[in-house]
Amino acid sequence: MDGLKLWLAEVGRKAYVAFIEQDRWKLYLKGLGITMEVAFFAAIIGIIIGTVLAFMKLSVKRNGKPSFLARIANAYIDIIRGTPSVLQLLIMWFIILSFCRNKILVACLSFGINSGAYVAEIVRAGILAVDKGQTEAGRSLGLSQFQTMRYIVIPQAFKNVLPPLGNEFIVLLKETAILGYVALDDLTRVANQITSRTYEAFMPLIGAALIYFVIIKILTILLNKMERRLRKSDNR
Amino acid sequence: MITVKNLHKSFEDNNHVLRGVNYHISPGEKIVIVGPSGSGKSTFLRCLNLLERPTEGEIWFDGQCITDERVDINHVRQHMGMVFQHFNLFHNLTIMDNIILAPTKLKLQTVEEAKENALKLLTRVGLQEKADAYPASLSGGQKQRIAIVRSLAMNPRVMLFDEPTSALDPEMVGEVLQVMKELADSGMTMVVVTHEMGFAREVGTKVLFMDGGNIVEENTPAEFFGNPQAPRLKEFLSKVL
Ligand SMILES: Nc1ncnc2c1ncn2[C@@H]1O[C@H](COP(=O)(O)OP(=O)(O)OP(=O)(O)O)[C@@H](O)[C@H]1O
Ligand SMILES: [Mg+2]
Repeated sequence: MDGLKLWLAEVGRKAYVAFIEQDRWKLYLKGLGITMEVAFFAAIIGIIIGTVLAFMKLSVKRNGKPSFLARIANAYIDIIRGTPSVLQLLIMWFIILSFCRNKILVACLSFGINSGAYVAEIVRAGILAVDKGQTEAGRSLGLSQFQTMRYIVIPQAFKNVLPPLGNEFIVLLKETAILGYVALDDLTRVANQITSRTYEAFMPLIGAALIYFVIIKILTILLNKMERRLRKSDNR
Repeated sequence: MITVKNLHKSFEDNNHVLRGVNYHISPGEKIVIVGPSGSGKSTFLRCLNLLERPTEGEIWFDGQCITDERVDINHVRQHMGMVFQHFNLFHNLTIMDNIILAPTKLKLQTVEEAKENALKLLTRVGLQEKADAYPASLSGGQKQRIAIVRSLAMNPRVMLFDEPTSALDPEMVGEVLQVMKELADSGMTMVVVTHEMGFAREVGTKVLFMDGGNIVEENTPAEFFGNPQAPRLKEFLSKVL
């Protein structure tokens, strides 16, 4: 009995030190804010870049060979996928954008450029998954390539693309845990710092992990809901 | 109306699918094309509206050489309707929007005109109450009738059909053939790839037999079925009749 009481008291003290003392919970919240901010804006940048890349990749020359634009897109995707995202972030911060002192901006750009490569594949697959017959029917009516894309293919591709884009966002959210490499105080770095300040690892690290987990769990539930609704309204 | 001169088509993997097809279609004709699987019927039909680019040869439509690189193919296609085996209705649009999309976006009709015209056409095929439904809620036969209506909404001068009843349950074949017969009676020029020999006999002005990438025999339905010449056609007919 006494042992249990002692143990509980010890846990309470550790939790107090990790979260309450010196208003440390505010640090976690601020860290979470940075994590979410970077993930959110990077996702938007990624979607824009990825969509452009996807259409570049899909462009073909008249003889069916990949166009110049498609080659550029392929090279971009190769480079991004072939290098660690930590290094990309460091290269952006210390070399390419070293003149820019706004860390958040550099982080958003770096992660956005990274995510764009993956979004490109998602968007491309989503467009290719639309039945070829849809395009043929559009073109046979005299609609141009652009009109067929705009009114028929893209609306249908949109549904294919939403669920994997949600997954990509979750991946992105977790990837931002490397922001500490450029001294940005995201959630992971905050937990790490509190660990070294209080000489207690358990509470800060498990606590941070739980926060990520809960947020991603909520996102996953929302995503599944959306997917189910998309499937229900799937008029096929 | 359509003249095909020395039409060749090969695909990348070097299979020579069409081997020098020549043919002439006059206004008001109903050309029915039959032949074994893989003989190039679909490829021939799809070359007529350039869904497939011929590798060699010329196609003339209403006095214009449409295989010429400089011709605006989108404009030519506005006058050639096409109906596909798998209907290819636009999944993301209602029946009404399927029908009026092309006429309105191509600025040939105002939305009001297009809707009025669409309702008339839908009434003609008995599907006016489906205007606001989505394709997914229709049967195969209904989808194909809508697909025909969608093509007709462009006021085409010729209609191409690629096995329009092959993907249908047997009990729905009749309703689609009925619409096609009515269309034929209205004077439309039609080119129809089909396995429906009854339709070929009844509606066709000419029946073509394709095999090995060429037209092997061409005749009036009575002669075609009653007095076939080519051995391969005799063999084919003995299998399908
Ligand atoms: N896009 C393509 N790429 C490569 N080969 C093709 C393509 N389309 C058709 N073919 C080939 O061309 C040949 C003729 O095909 P086509 O579809 O014209 O035949 P078909 O007479 O319509 O046959 P079916 O009765 O089965 O529809 C086939 O051997 C087919 O494999
Ligand atoms: Mg075919």
